[in-house]
Order: sequence, then C-alpha cells, then structure tokens
Amino acid sequence: MKNRLLQAYKQAPWRIQIQWIGLFLLGLVLVASITGLYLSISAQAAAAGRSIQSLEYQISDINNEIAELTSDLAKTKSIEVMLSKAEAMGFKPLNPHDAIFLEVPGYNPRASLELAPPRVNTISETPMILSAYKTSLWQWLIKNIWQSPSSDHLVEGELLP
Amino acid sequence: MKPPFYQRYLIIVIACAVFGLATVIQMVRINYTSYAQELIAKSEEYQGVSKTIYPPRGNIYDRKGNILAANQIGYEVGIDLKYVTDPDSIAFAAASLLDGLDYTYIFGLASTEKQADENRYFVLSSYVSKDKIEELIELKNSYVERRKEQKSLKPSLSGLVWVPMQQRTYPEDTLAANVVGFYDYFSRENAQGAYGVEGAYNRLLTGKPIKVFLPNDPNLVEALPTIDPGASLILSIDREIQKMLEQTLQDAIDWSGAEGGTIIVADPKTGEILGMASTPFFNPNEYWKYGETFTGIIPYNRAIGTAYEPGSVFKVITMAAALDSGVADLNTTYNDTSGVYWVENSWPIYNWNYGAWGLQDMTGCMRHSLNVCLVYIAIDLLGEELFYDYLQAFGFGRSTGIDLANEANYPLRLPDSNQWMVMDLAANSFGQGIAVTPIQMVTAVSAIANDGLMMTPHVVRAVIDKGQQYNVSPQVINSPISAQTARDLTEMLSVSLEEESSTALVDGYRVAGKTGTGQIPTELGYTSSLTNASFVGWGPTDDPQFVVYVWIEKPTISQWGSEVASPIFKDVVEQLVVLMRIPPDHVRNQQANE
Repeated sequence: MKNRLLQAYKQAPWRIQIQWIGLFLLGLVLVASITGLYLSISAQAAAAGRSIQSLEYQISDINNEIAELTSDLAKTKSIEVMLSKAEAMGFKPLNPHDAIFLEVPGYNPRASLELAPPRVNTISETPMILSAYKTSLWQWLIKNIWQSPSSDHLVEGELLP
Repeated sequence: MKPPFYQRYLIIVIACAVFGLATVIQMVRINYTSYAQELIAKSEEYQGVSKTIYPPRGNIYDRKGNILAANQIGYEVGIDLKYVTDPDSIAFAAASLLDGLDYTYIFGLASTEKQADENRYFVLSSYVSKDKIEELIELKNSYVERRKEQKSLKPSLSGLVWVPMQQRTYPEDTLAANVVGFYDYFSRENAQGAYGVEGAYNRLLTGKPIKVFLPNDPNLVEALPTIDPGASLILSIDREIQKMLEQTLQDAIDWSGAEGGTIIVADPKTGEILGMASTPFFNPNEYWKYGETFTGIIPYNRAIGTAYEPGSVFKVITMAAALDSGVADLNTTYNDTSGVYWVENSWPIYNWNYGAWGLQDMTGCMRHSLNVCLVYIAIDLLGEELFYDYLQAFGFGRSTGIDLANEANYPLRLPDSNQWMVMDLAANSFGQGIAVTPIQMVTAVSAIANDGLMMTPHVVRAVIDKGQQYNVSPQVINSPISAQTARDLTEMLSVSLEEESSTALVDGYRVAGKTGTGQIPTELGYTSSLTNASFVGWGPTDDPQFVVYVWIEKPTISQWGSEVASPIFKDVVEQLVVLMRIPPDHVRNQQANE
C-alpha cells in the first residue's frame, strides 16, 4: 500500500491573531462611524432646533414691533394730530359755499376700501410642498429603481421652490 | 472540578442578579405608588412647557382705513427670585420707575427666602409702557458698568424681569368710542370685548387660541403652527364725519344746556352708519374708568341703548301709514276748529300751542305739527289695527339688529294687550306713550328716504379674515311703504320745512325732515317742563344720500325741537355735504342735464 502524502495547511498563529484584531478594529471603526454619524446628526438636529427656537423668538419680536409701529403710526395719523398739523400749515375747514365741484371722469369717491384681497370662492388644490420632501427613502427606491423612472419628476401643478 | 474562585464568582453573580431584580421591582413599585403621578408630573416639567398662544386681536378700521383700534406692546415686570442678588437695587429701581409701588413692598418680595426646588416669581406691574422699560434697561446697563468699575457684585438688577404682552390701544382716544367699545385686556386670558363692535364681534376679533408644547429637548423642537390673527373689521364709520358729529354734539350740548344727546348719520340706501355720536364721551384707553363716566342708568351708547318718547318726529311714521294705506292723500284735509281732540269723549288732546289751526291739508298738519290732526288720522282714518301693523312693519317693538352690543328695545303695547287703551293709539300717533331708540327711528325713516326699502343698520362694512376681505352686503329688512308713498312724503316734508322757513334748511340743498318735542313722563305724568328735542331729516330729496337724526336730551335753553334740534341738523348737514363731497343741487342738476 502506497502511502499518500498530503500537504496540510494551517494559518500561522500570528496571522489568526492579526485577523481577529483586524475584525475587532473593523467593528470598532464601524461602531465609531455610526456613533459619529449619529452624534453629528443629533448635533445638527439640536442646532436646527435651537435655530427654530431662536427664529420663533425673532418672529414674536418682529410681530410685537410691527404691532408697536402700527399703533405708533395710527397715533401719529390720528385725526386730532392731523387737524392740528393742518391748522399749523394754514389750512381751515372748507365752507360748503366756497367749494368748487369739478367733474373728474373715472374718479369714484365711493370706491370701497380694500385692505386685503377679496374672498376667493374656489380653493386651490395645488400642493405647496414638493413630493420629494414627502417621499420616504423606500418609496423613492421603488419609484426610481424597480419601476421605470418617470421623465417628468414634477407632479402637474406642483410648485417649484 | 470547579474552577478556582468559583464561589467568589457565584457570590458576585448572585449579588448582581439580586441588585438587578431589586432595581426592576423598585421601578415597577414606583409606578404603582402614590408618588407616581407626582414624579410623572415632575418629569414632564423637565421635558418642556405647555403654553396657550393667543393670536393678536384683530384691528378695527374706519371706512377709509384709519385705525380705530389696534394692539401695542405693554410689559409685565416681575421678580424671578432664582436670579435675585441685590434686593435693595431692585426695590429702588422698581419703586422709582413703576407707578403705585413702594420700596418696602418690593424689597419684601425680592428678599423672600429662596426655596431650592421652587421657582418663585412675583408680578410687580402689568402693561408697563415701553418708555419705562427702556429706562429700566438703561439703569440695568449703568449698573453693569458700575460693577465692572467697582469689581463688586452690587448694584445689580438681576432677577428683575420683564416680558412683552399685547395690549389694546385706541389711537383716536374718545373718537367713536361708543361705536368701537373696549377690550378689558387687564383680565388677561379672560379678557372680553365690551360694548360696540368690540363686544358684538368679540369672538371674531379674538381668533382661535392654540395650545402648544414647547420641549426643552432641542431634538424635539418643531416650528410653531401658524396662528391666524383675529379677524380685522372695516367699519362704515367715517372718521371725519364722526369727528364732526362729536364736535357738533358737544357744542350743541354746551349751547343748549342739555343733559346729553346723540346724532346719527346713516346712508339710507345701504343702512351703513356713517357716524354715531353719543354722550358722554369716553376714552377706551382708560376703560377701567367706565364706572366714573357711565353712572346710574346712563348707557354706553344712547343711540342704541336708550328708548325714549320721541315726540313729533314720530308723526312721519303716522303720516307714512296714512298715505301708504290710502286712507289719506296729499289733498286730504282736516278742519281744526277747536285745537282739541276728545278721545272717546274723555281725554283731550291739544296742539302744541293749545291753538286751533283751521282747515289744513296733510302738508299743513305736518308743517304745523298738529297733534289733533295726527290723532284724527290714527283713530278715525287708520284705526288701531292698520296703525300698529305699520308700526311693526317699520320695525318698532323689536331690535333693529344693528351689529353693536347692548341694543335696547322697548316692546310695543298692542291692542291685544290688556293694558292697551284708545288713548295709547292717540298718544302714539304723535310720538308719546311709545318708547323708541334713536337707531329705530333712523332705520324706520331710512325707508322713506330709500323709496320704501328699509335696510338693516350696520357699522361693519367688511371683515378681513385669514388674509381675505369679506364685504358685508346691504340687507333689506322690510318694505313697509311703497316707493311712491316714500317720494310723496319726502316732498311733503320738504315743502313743510320750506313753508315754515325752518332753521333746518340748508342753502343749496333741498332736505326733508321733521322736528320733535317729546314730553318726558314722570311718576305723576307729563309734569316736567323738560323735553326731548329731536329732528330727523334726509337729503338731497331727489337722491337721498344721508339721514341725520338729532336728539338732544332735556335742553334748558328752549324746550322746542324746532329751536334746539333743527339748527343742529342744519349745522351737521352743512359740514356733511362737504365731507361726503355732495355738490349743491344746482350743480348736480347741471351735471345731470349735460
């Protein structure tokens, strides 16, 4: 009987050690990366949150300032102030007998005051937010990879930012 | 064979397991103890704060866009004990700058012992003006400089805090206050609009408050939802006309020695109130002084809040009923032989001068304001059924529906009532024994000035809500008389003014109208020499654009409406035609003929 000789291979112990260390380090790097990513996103979200809070305060301050300026303007234009200014400038109330009436074509003295656009009966159904901002990653993948991507990415009537 | 240190490991494992189990048991136990809710509430405090956001109250504008009511910023000043380091400086600053506070009181609050687990806050003053806050800021900054120089912790205003809050302001002060009403902003969350449009449209002006949660965790912060401000109102009131009316009314009261009065100007074609002056005048910026101004039974707005016996101006309604029903026409005559009409042969009715005026047509009856003639029309021609049908058609006995809070109404005493007597019919025919509000008279008379169509009186012309303007459409309440009757009556009352050379006549403008002198009943009957003097008129007669109602209460210079109210009407109309840009009749006719 002939003896067959087979070469048996075995990793050197130091190589196995290196591989384990490598695997461990890979895992560590992965965990560190994920942790770093998470921290970065959390920090950004927190910064955005603080920014939102700050903007809300600014909006509130600006609204207060607008209200203050509006009331200041109204006081400055109040009839007592305007009358005294007019008197100081030499104006006096018009006597009806001194009035001269002229016909001014197109002038409508009784036109109603419009401080805002008139009421619109039809309600626009145009979406105000792009669909891209409302689509999840999964929906996007389905739409763009598994289904044939549409040549028109915008829904009809959708508004561009 | 057990490994070395087996027992030690076992003890450690058991100890850890027991500790873990105890922790879990304690966690479960805490959730079921009486402290659980307390702890949950405490944890929520750390998570953030729930806050109700109140939208800014809507503005109120006149018909030309001038602001009659708006919001401005006031500040709440308080002490936050957590940050107080120098009570003495806080007390000194607050006492010297804020009204109604003394040093000792503030020092006591600022020196209150701080509790470690408690945030204590004391309100010192509300709605402090911006000027005062700027002074406080200046003082605070100067203290910072001093601390730097002296390298010490004092003086310091740390802990003295102020937060902005919106407060109602009325830039025109007393102007149109009786129409606008006021908002009791000192009541904070429970504040309500009172009187006028502030009261009538309170919910619309207030808007919808929303409750939001403001988390402390910045990761959970989201933009606040958009809060629509309360709706704004555009009134039909014209600021210039209102000013003119209030000035004229004040002058008239000073001149006549009257107790009070009201003047209303309305557009008969739409029912819009262009101006409504009423005494006493009141500054809604100091609404807490309401009780000092409106003592006793004085209403906030006499024009809608007081029912009184109008006197002869009411003859216009009786005559309208007679002409419209056909029981009389312009040529119908009445022979006043004695100057007295005996009602059911029991009660005498006399003319205003107790005289007999002979044969009179209907224009003469109105021109001389003959009580006996109008009693004759009501009793002998119209009869109670027809008369009261017309009164109800003209809206007497019920509210006009004007969009102002606190409208008064006095019910009609009708023939089916047990208390009604024929004497009531007689007295009602010339405006006695019946109580009406000035706005009821204006609404009724507007039908005569508007070809028989009676419009709903209103002061709100448009509402601005969520960025859109909703214009209010004029509404017809009723058509009590025909257009022909309205024109005939207008002509009759215009001629009667001209023939008596009334002091109400206005140069260049043809107007129609009627005076009224209403006796004031006392507990003993009509024994008072004081009267209600009034005048109702409209013009220009060929195209009426205004109805003016003047009521002067208890004038002392004269008791007659023709001597007190008529000249006031003239005064008002002379200024009104300029403000409304109504050319004299000859100019308008000339333009029409071109």
